[in-house]
Amino acid sequence: MGVQAIPVTRSWSTRHAEKKRRIEAVRSWMDGPILQADRILDAMHLLIQAGDRIVIEGDNQKQADFLSRSLAKADPKKLHDLHLIISSISRPEHLTLFELGIAKKIDFAFAALGLRVAQLLEDGVLEIGAIHTYVELYARLFLDLTPNVVLVCAEEADKGGNLYTGPNTEDTPVIVESAAFHDGIVIVQVNRIVDKLPRVDIPSSWIDVVVESDRPYAIEPLFTRDPRKITDLQILMGMMVIRGVYERHQVHSLNHGIGFATAAIELLLPTYGESLGLSGKICEHWAINPHPTLIPAIESGWIKTIHCFGSEVGMSDYIRARPDIFFNGSDGSMRSNRVLCQLVGQYAIDAFIGSTLQLDGDANSSTVTAGRITGHGGAANMGHDPHGRRHASPAWLDLKTDPSPMVRGRKIVVQAVETFVKGDTPAFVETLDAVQVGRKAGMPIAPVMIYGEDVSHVVTEEGIAYLYKTEGIEERRRAIAAVAGISPIGLRAKPEETAALRRRGIVAYPEDIGVQRLSAKRSLLAARSMEDLVAWSGDLYKPPARFRSW
Amino acid sequence: MSVATVIPAFVTRESFIELEARDRAQALMDPGSWRELVGPFDRIESPWLPMQSIAPQSDDGCVVLKGTIAGQATVVIALEGGFQAGSIGEVSGAKMTAALDLATHDSENGRKTAAVLLLETGGVRLQEANLGLAAIAEVMASIFALRQHAPVVTVIAGTVGCFGGMSLVAGISSYILMTREARLGLNGAEVIEQESGIEEFDSSDRALIWAVFGGEQRVGMGVADELLQDDAKEIAAAVQRCLKVGLPVVHRSQQIDLYRDGIAALDTSQQIEPLTLRKNWNNKQAKTKEGSA
Repeated sequence: MGVQAIPVTRSWSTRHAEKKRRIEAVRSWMDGPILQADRILDAMHLLIQAGDRIVIEGDNQKQADFLSRSLAKADPKKLHDLHLIISSISRPEHLTLFELGIAKKIDFAFAALGLRVAQLLEDGVLEIGAIHTYVELYARLFLDLTPNVVLVCAEEADKGGNLYTGPNTEDTPVIVESAAFHDGIVIVQVNRIVDKLPRVDIPSSWIDVVVESDRPYAIEPLFTRDPRKITDLQILMGMMVIRGVYERHQVHSLNHGIGFATAAIELLLPTYGESLGLSGKICEHWAINPHPTLIPAIESGWIKTIHCFGSEVGMSDYIRARPDIFFNGSDGSMRSNRVLCQLVGQYAIDAFIGSTLQLDGDANSSTVTAGRITGHGGAANMGHDPHGRRHASPAWLDLKTDPSPMVRGRKIVVQAVETFVKGDTPAFVETLDAVQVGRKAGMPIAPVMIYGEDVSHVVTEEGIAYLYKTEGIEERRRAIAAVAGISPIGLRAKPEETAALRRRGIVAYPEDIGVQRLSAKRSLLAARSMEDLVAWSGDLYKPPARFRSW
Repeated sequence: MSVATVIPAFVTRESFIELEARDRAQALMDPGSWRELVGPFDRIESPWLPMQSIAPQSDDGCVVLKGTIAGQATVVIALEGGFQAGSIGEVSGAKMTAALDLATHDSENGRKTAAVLLLETGGVRLQEANLGLAAIAEVMASIFALRQHAPVVTVIAGTVGCFGGMSLVAGISSYILMTREARLGLNGAEVIEQESGIEEFDSSDRALIWAVFGGEQRVGMGVADELLQDDAKEIAAAVQRCLKVGLPVVHRSQQIDLYRDGIAALDTSQQIEPLTLRKNWNNKQAKTKEGSA
């Protein structure tokens, strides 16, 4: 007699056992966590199995390219049907993996190689799980897309496997965490193995395999805009945003996209903004990468803090010398974090201002155009009004159109677009190409980047449409048409309706907000060339060679 | 935290590079002294570009202003880098030649007239190839004639630079003024890469391009005369200095032996770095001058 033992029918640690089995298979090649680079392909064949879910680190900035190049050399007979999770499809080998049959399915947030993605999808070579925003994709790593293996990159490792990810920390911590705490395998390529790290960004106990790469990880200076290329039209738009949005609503905290119109705004703050007496009243706190075009505004005391998604090539020394502004570690170098910065951009800032390739008559926008599947990246996270926000700020309250205590404020979401993308290609279109592309690709919904309902302002070279003030969809459409120039949407505008909208302050043309069209000149910019930016920085900013003309 | 509210001087300067050809020419001349010859309203356009579906420009990218600089009669000829990369075609070439010849004519008749060339140009306009080549020859002949009487000053400000046949035109002028953004060379980086391969010259390597063709290197080697800031006032003052000095004792392009010997002395068995070249070249030049003295 006694309690009968329940027979053990299942293990609760299958993932743990499987990880242990795979690691043991390569143990003999390793010295602690360090694997020699020439063993990486052999090791991948044992650490990865067909059908695995794999994260390859690669956003719009740094790329674990040694590991992705190595994986592309794998034997498709052994490694096939992998399910890849990549935040930005940017490397040619990402797609080679599909062409060779090593990978089958992909979940992603953005595709720099949008044209080839569309072609491979059409050929049935590649299967798309979903197109996400950045934080949404990371969130799923901890839910239903938990990885078996993650391939990431870091600046330096010590011999024990601690990592220094430095200014370009970006996505590495979140990707590593999703594997390290759910029995996934973490493989990291590092630029250098050193005796002592400047600081530990990721502890060794989260890391399984460290390999020194053949060359430093690839990184793009994506956030550098040469002031030489800013046009008078973009300057006019910048002046309108400063007066008609930032000053009007007292925007203290914000994010900027990477267009030339926003670069113009950054360079107008110390000159035009100063002439309006706005220093200390707007644009103090930023969630933004260290755009070189921010240097003059920082140097002239406009900017109090900047938190970054990643760093920017050439900015390290400058950032190191401005610790009051940036988020730097005990060693002096910056630490970025894409997820945290996305959250700042989602919940904490007053205003987001971005651009797009297409906008329809309801202000829905997408960068997906015919034949190109691009995606959303982070714009959609920042470019929406988060219903989870509860704290008030002057700008947030200024967009509250109903005095009821039960109505909340609103985040400012600006779409700043020239009415024509180039030549005779209008930015304002009847129907987004995304609708057709989505249908053709079998997507359940069209790949819209920012939904019109989240857009509070549309700014063009014609004027500003204050969409949050409109009553009803018809008035909203009239306001958008009023600033859409001679695009197909703009041609719908009727002069008498537009005049009425201007009287009611729903549409403003430059003269309505005290902006002189003829004063929109490049001489207003605080820096007109890369040389000027370098001079502003006291020679601390070191632009990459491709941006130099001296 | 130190709060700088003063805008640095380089921000408020008038950038010369920022100016279009017509504004550049005007910026150098005595206010109110100039008039434009064969201006855009004369509508003398390239007949060849429309045949190739390229919109012509009413001044063909060449602006000719006649007036004075610090009181000295001068014709300023400016090429617009923003139009077809400042290339020389039939019309722009003819405008240049005619302007130089008129200056020679005036000089021969007792009214000394200098010329200032603002060269932002890739050289011959490919769409008008033979006519452009002929234009280069004519312009050069006209400069040889004029420079016996009055100085011909070339200003290369950037960012297009001065390449191809027009680099020869720069080479025979009396003085060459450059900014560090400017470039001067016979074959541009892309042409060299195309002809000799990427190992010979990587045309995407901007650091290399400026190390070889850039104003700092050219002035540093003595093949251009003065390195200037991108500042309209500073450039105008430098042009005035050149005109005041007048003709050089000997033109650079007359010093054939000096340059021939310099090139012959180079050790081309291994790749010469631009900085080393600058140093060795100057040492050699110094020695030659000592020898001749």
